[in-house]
Amino acid sequence: MTVPTSFEVSRLIDQPRVDRYAVAAGDPNPIHRETPEAYAGPFGQPVAHGMIVLGLVSEAMTSAFGVTWAETGTVKVRWRTPGLTPFTATARAELKKDADGVATYDVTCTDDRGETLLTGTATVRHG
Amino acid sequence: MTHTLDFTDLQKGQAFARLPLAITSDEVEAYLESTGESSETWRELVPPIFLDTVAIATLLSTVAIPKGVMHTGQEHESHRAARIGEPLTLEMRVSTLSERRGAIMIAFEAEVTDADDAPVSSMKISVMALPDGVTA
Repeated sequence: MTVPTSFEVSRLIDQPRVDRYAVAAGDPNPIHRETPEAYAGPFGQPVAHGMIVLGLVSEAMTSAFGVTWAETGTVKVRWRTPGLTPFTATARAELKKDADGVATYDVTCTDDRGETLLTGTATVRHG
Repeated sequence: MTHTLDFTDLQKGQAFARLPLAITSDEVEAYLESTGESSETWRELVPPIFLDTVAIATLLSTVAIPKGVMHTGQEHESHRAARIGEPLTLEMRVSTLSERRGAIMIAFEAEVTDADDAPVSSMKISVMALPDGVTA
């Protein structure tokens, strides 16, 4: 199987999306919502859950590998900068290595301000 | 929310959660609607990162996390895809705990297993608590 060398997914992450995610994910932390705590916090405004950003990386992997991603995928990331809502996030995967039936990708997620939100590595077994 | 554990009382190696799970199609739909991902691939299967989301929600409901704790990293390994509705078990424990210049770093491991006790997904949630008075 020839694996794709690069692919990406972009999405607007605005406050209504973050609010819906807070409910769906069971993460009610007030720093993610329009609350006094968010505006008094270190970022001066609400920030998106990091897991929404990671979800976009997973979506990019799904776009390339479908169910195989859910069956065999691994991902390891660190968050670099919080996503200040609203922003358009782009998750990218660049092939780093393809050996022994395992494709390894460098993954990043950036916003439309040029900030890197997340970096890491994802693998998928395709052989 | 009533927490059973305090963040400062956590110990390396401490197991703090073991609970049955059965991810419903409504939960997956709500998750996908919130993230914006198409549900096309996920009619019968659970999106892998949703399991991490469930583990984090379990952590937040079990451990009283103080203000200022940052989620710094996440790892996920799928051993196989989880099916919507299948009986699963989630177990969580403190895998590492260290302190450096007043900042506390903790990694929580989560394992999702199936009805035969076979692994489905393994996860690691890394967080950092900065010293009092320091913000990110």
